[in-house]
Amino acid sequence: MAWRRRRAVAMQLLQFGLFLGLLAWLLVGGAQGMGYNWQWVRVPRFLFQHVDGEFYAGPLLKGLLVTLHISGLAMLLTIVIGLGVALLRLSGSVAGRWLAVGYIEAIRNTPLLVQLYIVYFVLAPVLGIDRFWAGVLCLAVFEGAFAAEIFRGGIQAVRMGQWEAAWALGLSRGRALRHVVLPQALRVMLPPLAGLGVSLIKHSAIVSVIAVFDLMNEGRNVISDTFMTFEIWLTVAALYLCITVPLSAGVGLLERRLRGHAA
Amino acid sequence: MLGVVGWVGWRAGGALNYAWDFGPVWGFVARHDPQRGWVANLLLQGLLTTLRVSFWAGMIAACVGVLMGIARASRPLFPRLVAGFYVETIRNIPPLVFVFVFYFFVSSQVLPALGIEDWIRRQPPGTLWWMEVLFGPPAQAAGVFAAILCLGLFEGAYVTEIVRGGIQSLPAGQWEAAGALGLSRRRTLRLVILPQAVARTVPPLTGQAVSLVKDSSIISLVSIQDLAFMGNEVAATTNRVFETWLVVALFYFILCVTLSALAARAERRFAIRLRKPRPSLTTTPPGFTWSPTTTAAAISARCMTG
Amino acid sequence: MNETDMRRRLIAPAAGGLAALGAFVFGSRPAAAQGADARAALAAASMIEEVKRRGTLRVGLSTFVPWAFRNRAGELIGFEVDVANRLAQDMSVRAEFIPTAWDGIVPALLAGRFDAIIGGMSITAARNLSANFTSSYSANGVDMAANKRLADGMVTLEAYNRPNVTIAGRRGTSAIVAAQRLMPRATFRQFDDDAQAILEVVGGRAHAMVGSMPRPLFAVLDNAEVLFSPFPQPLMRQADAMAVRKGDPDALNFLDNWVLSRQLDGWLPERHAYWFGAREWRDQVPG
Repeated sequence: MAWRRRRAVAMQLLQFGLFLGLLAWLLVGGAQGMGYNWQWVRVPRFLFQHVDGEFYAGPLLKGLLVTLHISGLAMLLTIVIGLGVALLRLSGSVAGRWLAVGYIEAIRNTPLLVQLYIVYFVLAPVLGIDRFWAGVLCLAVFEGAFAAEIFRGGIQAVRMGQWEAAWALGLSRGRALRHVVLPQALRVMLPPLAGLGVSLIKHSAIVSVIAVFDLMNEGRNVISDTFMTFEIWLTVAALYLCITVPLSAGVGLLERRLRGHAA
Repeated sequence: MLGVVGWVGWRAGGALNYAWDFGPVWGFVARHDPQRGWVANLLLQGLLTTLRVSFWAGMIAACVGVLMGIARASRPLFPRLVAGFYVETIRNIPPLVFVFVFYFFVSSQVLPALGIEDWIRRQPPGTLWWMEVLFGPPAQAAGVFAAILCLGLFEGAYVTEIVRGGIQSLPAGQWEAAGALGLSRRRTLRLVILPQAVARTVPPLTGQAVSLVKDSSIISLVSIQDLAFMGNEVAATTNRVFETWLVVALFYFILCVTLSALAARAERRFAIRLRKPRPSLTTTPPGFTWSPTTTAAAISARCMTG
Repeated sequence: MNETDMRRRLIAPAAGGLAALGAFVFGSRPAAAQGADARAALAAASMIEEVKRRGTLRVGLSTFVPWAFRNRAGELIGFEVDVANRLAQDMSVRAEFIPTAWDGIVPALLAGRFDAIIGGMSITAARNLSANFTSSYSANGVDMAANKRLADGMVTLEAYNRPNVTIAGRRGTSAIVAAQRLMPRATFRQFDDDAQAILEVVGGRAHAMVGSMPRPLFAVLDNAEVLFSPFPQPLMRQADAMAVRKGDPDALNFLDNWVLSRQLDGWLPERHAYWFGAREWRDQVPG
């Protein structure tokens, strides 16, 4: 009977709600046991201030905007790098393939933190770029290796027949790629690329190490001034989740819709 | 492309009048003590810490991941919700934020409550020696425990998804046949599902192990003295930033490539096992069709042989 | 008959009344005894007792040249390391050092990860609201090291108090807080370590760095062709002290008197001159 199943589901949801309540109670009780002085009242002024009818964004919101800014720029650069390296890997030249594989393996086997230090201390002075663009470059180079594999998988997923038909029509390799293969490969590549975007936002927190004014850095600065460790960290985590959870959900939706159109 | 490489090289040569000097950096890898011979210095000690933390965090991640993965693939809603909450929260939080919050919480709440540091101090020298080998110097052991717990829980979310994928990739017929035989859910999992899922999850799990070693560099930001932390110290002390970070990157690279090579070998061994044409539950020899009867026969054969 | 009954009926309540009186007299002790209980409890909960029982003094610090840093063999040396070792020796225990990130060191102290912060921590009102400070044993000040090319000719506070001026410093230090008060319009970039802040200025990515004396001066001496000291006097004077948890009068009293004794017998001034003076220890540090 439908109502019995609905009641079972409701019971399970209730259990889950109790479980979440228990977690929250443990956290609060644990912090209080340490003698931690919760000061939630002081938190909103770091998010925004409403003075004389004017809206001033606090340091945390400003940091969030910088995070989004860096992630957006890095995503564009990632796509460029990823596409370039994937094409290099699929190209005929041996040197190109070795370069592409070498780049991908080097990036995939070293931590992001070490790459950031190298880009910031070594490459940035050489190329004459400031810390913001060094962060963008580092993130793009890091995610570019994964993007390259996604692009390569997508291009290789398109059936050989499409290439042959394009050649039969007299299209050059480049035009075949641009007008025939890539649009079809896009369907396969879009969900993983969107997932890469979420991953990029998460990894953007690392640029706080080189003192870019992103959300993570602003959070740490506020904490070192006020000692409100738990409150600020929970707020920062909530802000990140506000961005990444809807994006992840969007990726899931995209995946399901594109799978329905399977060619 | 040649143009880009050329431009970078020209700027590097011109703007960076750098006097390469790897000497001090190698000195921080290992130094010659007049009494004890060659002794590991900061960088090697950091490497050992990274290995220890990665190993134990991997163990925790495996345990947590398997349990949560089974919960996530189960039918009732409550375990699915709990495991889903765990996985989605961790997968959507930046690793840096999670490590900072959780490490602070564990090291300031859980560890003092458990009295770990006092317990460590009371151990006899023999035990202390073993603890030093497994976990590092006792003075830093509490922080290392917190970092291990942190990393283990973080990677556990990704292991959960891998295990769930492995379990759900098995055909529903396996569950149905086991149910037809009257096997309880627990015995089904233990005898039928998990053995088959293991073979499918090993390749992605080894990739996750490499990820674990790379993510472990984050704990340097909470002052755990791992390889990245020592890289910072050595770079600051010797003022040779470029050389230090190149050496540190080289160490991580060797570590990860070795792990990947071991992973590839493990993958091949599991693939070979899968290819054996025995009418067991893991393979289907050609011409053999699965029906409830044959499944039941295979399962009872498996049960009787343990 | 009636009298015996009445007497029997009075026995129970009388006994009960006597018992209650007895319990009151002997159970509730006089105020003096209760006060002694409270004092004993407070003394037993003191950090001093815990250190004696444990046999080690756990000290929280961060790498700060020359307060505490690593030598060629990777061992911790420095002014505060000497202070902590001498303090432990005078308490007949061993000192144990727990390096912690500086911007989280006060929360870590409050959480009980170590007994005291002995690492060149300056007394500030904000910190004092959360933790107690002993008497100061090291006078200090905020100093600046600037890049010769970028900050050419900038020798006044107003010159640095502009939005396009970048000042680097270490997160959580009193130097950054003081500099932000003196130059509110400048842009501050905060790092996890002094060395990173100095690298910023040497590399021309920041106009100047702020830190506690004598670190900026050491940086200028080490990079004389790139850095210079814009101000002959410190920007602001500060005092360094040990930090302990609140509610522990015994520990505060012991440490205050220890500091006084070591200053009177000349040990603290001698150590201070060694580490902050002519840098005779430079050959112990590579690079």
